Amino acid sequence: MQQLMNGSVEIDTMSKTEWVKAGGAKLPESGDQLELDQGYTLVTKVDNHHVQVLRTQAELTLLEKELLSWLAKQGSMSKSGSVSASEMERQARKLGEWLQQSIDAGEWRSEIPERFELHHRLFDGMIPFLLMSEQAENREPSYVELEKVLRSYLSDDMLLIPLREREWLILGTDRLLAEVETNEGDMIERGETKEALVSLATGLHQMITEEWGGDCHVAVGEPIIPTESLVYAVATLRETINLGRKFHVGMHVHMPWLVHLERLLSGIPEPVRSRFMDEMSGRQDLFTDPETVSTLDAFFAMDCNVSETAKRLFIHRNTLLYRLDKLKQEAGLDVRSFNDAILVRLLMLLYKVTKRK
Amino acid sequence: MAGVRLEHVYKKYPGSDKASVTDFNLDIADKEFLVLVGPSGCGKSTTLRMIAGLEEISEGKLYIGDRVVNDVAPKDRDIAMVFQSYALYPHMNVYQNMAFGLKLRKFRKDEIDRRVREAARTLEIEHLLDRKPKALSGGQRQRVALGRAIVREPQVFLMDEPLSNLDAKLRTQMRANISKLMKRLETTCIYVTHDQTEAMTMGDRIVVMKDGFIQQAATPDELYNHPVNLFVAGFIGAPAMNFITGQLSEEGGAVRFKATGINVVIPAGKAQLLRDKGYIGREMIVGIRPEDLHEEPVFIEASPNSVISASIEVSENLGHEMFLYLNGLGKDNVIARVDGRSQLQEGQNIKLAIDMNKIHIFDKDTELNILEA
Repeated sequence: MQQLMNGSVEIDTMSKTEWVKAGGAKLPESGDQLELDQGYTLVTKVDNHHVQVLRTQAELTLLEKELLSWLAKQGSMSKSGSVSASEMERQARKLGEWLQQSIDAGEWRSEIPERFELHHRLFDGMIPFLLMSEQAENREPSYVELEKVLRSYLSDDMLLIPLREREWLILGTDRLLAEVETNEGDMIERGETKEALVSLATGLHQMITEEWGGDCHVAVGEPIIPTESLVYAVATLRETINLGRKFHVGMHVHMPWLVHLERLLSGIPEPVRSRFMDEMSGRQDLFTDPETVSTLDAFFAMDCNVSETAKRLFIHRNTLLYRLDKLKQEAGLDVRSFNDAILVRLLMLLYKVTKRK
Repeated sequence: MAGVRLEHVYKKYPGSDKASVTDFNLDIADKEFLVLVGPSGCGKSTTLRMIAGLEEISEGKLYIGDRVVNDVAPKDRDIAMVFQSYALYPHMNVYQNMAFGLKLRKFRKDEIDRRVREAARTLEIEHLLDRKPKALSGGQRQRVALGRAIVREPQVFLMDEPLSNLDAKLRTQMRANISKLMKRLETTCIYVTHDQTEAMTMGDRIVVMKDGFIQQAATPDELYNHPVNLFVAGFIGAPAMNFITGQLSEEGGAVRFKATGINVVIPAGKAQLLRDKGYIGREMIVGIRPEDLHEEPVFIEASPNSVISASIEVSENLGHEMFLYLNGLGKDNVIARVDGRSQLQEGQNIKLAIDMNKIHIFDKDTELNILEA
């Protein structure tokens, strides 16, 4: 503002009595303005006994003053005046119901109709998060409580949209991605976007777990323009959480770009899946040993790199080689060969699903 | 500050016929540092998550202080958690990360500032307060996660494998830091780990778990020297206790233990106990800690009734000590921990004496330590 006005700008607080003495209205409102000795003074916020004012010595034209007054009025309306918490919840629930209906009808590509009051807030780039709470029924807190916590974590311009019981869509501004960067003003590289999204979602999960309602699952998608692709984003995130819960028990943060294989396997008809498992008969017994499972998980996570896997598991390289050789002897599958590695990976994923039957 | 009490606590997941945690009874004293330890799947994390309120308690009562908290939400239990993943809030700097929970609870600004700066000073991260998590090393992030818990000044700290993402060197350093910190804060702490070294070095008391059951709850010293069963004896100690299966027999007024390559006399006190309990003539498991096998001539001369011979298959010299993997004793390798300056070679045949006063004898069927029962 100082740059725009070409002069200093300060925020000050005056009692209402001082404001009236200075010539202001007895019932001040945001947007009220006065020319005082200290300069142009504009009310930006009002509470029971005080007014918050913006003050500048800069020379302003009448039009500039009117514009500032209008902005102050709008600002105060969007914060508290025009949309109350309950009204906000009503609007969000309405949109949530429509999203749910669109997903149920298979209309994943639907755009948000203009009739929704929230439509005007869905044009900017936003990050979609899907939150599924796992707490018992009697612990589900109110929309207002959750929104308050999320505002503190994300920003005031986030949107919370209830979908189903214990399921919420959270839209956070994509400016958060830049805030993850170490230095202000650093541009986030395209490749780093996913990394930043993962850290935001992991932080969100941690925050919800600790500060709000206990255990939950969180999925995050890449930034979208909600008016255009919100239905698709919600459906994808919901599918991601379901796949994550099915294939990666114990994980609570899920990303759509990490469950491609799981999505594919999930779509395979049961008889085909069973035949594959039958053909591998005996080999899946290996996965009852937690050490084998954790070794293989780490091995695949480290792109089948022996040295990196050993480092990650805090074991000697030879110990890892011994474990892999043992697997080769017992199952006849050498995970250091590409084809066998694929088989073991598929077997592990399918085992995680079928073992619970 | 407060203690924590678990009374007949069970955890059963829907669709599972077996409980993940069974009849867990424990009284954790105020200011105590309690470690839950056990292999993967033993129920230690589930127990901690029940205390945290992240898992429902299927049966039983959980007290924090004098209050039953089974139905109290996690945020209202006055606990602070530090997990393995210790996710920081990536878009906030270190100060904001630490202040967040207090801000949410509407603490006064000056109080938040006081607590954050004090915690930062304690953890030596004052110089990092303006940094974003992305600019921090693994160890620094871990300290911020601890800081976030400390500022809340909770009644109980809950930590679930908080060091497992750190490399070995940093883990050792942080282990000492956490112990020091908890002593200073004088707050009850429940700490979960699968690492028995962490458990032994940090805990005032350790609870060893297996298959959802408490195996033994005792001080580190008690667990090491008086394990109640085969599992605890094998789990605590690195290298692990050697187990040799053999026969007990009475010969010439002495009770002898015989196995492949071993024929030793059981000390009188222990022998009498074995006679009284009717174990003579039965197959038993004898447990010997690696450091209770001695190769020093003085010890061998002084213990003629417990000398054994074996060949060294592999030797590992760590400088200050040497591990000998011995062949010819029982069915499996037996490990001896000897002085690092011993000039012993692989393939060499050596004589060793067992410190018979320190052996443990386990019932082969019940796996209970007969001498402790």
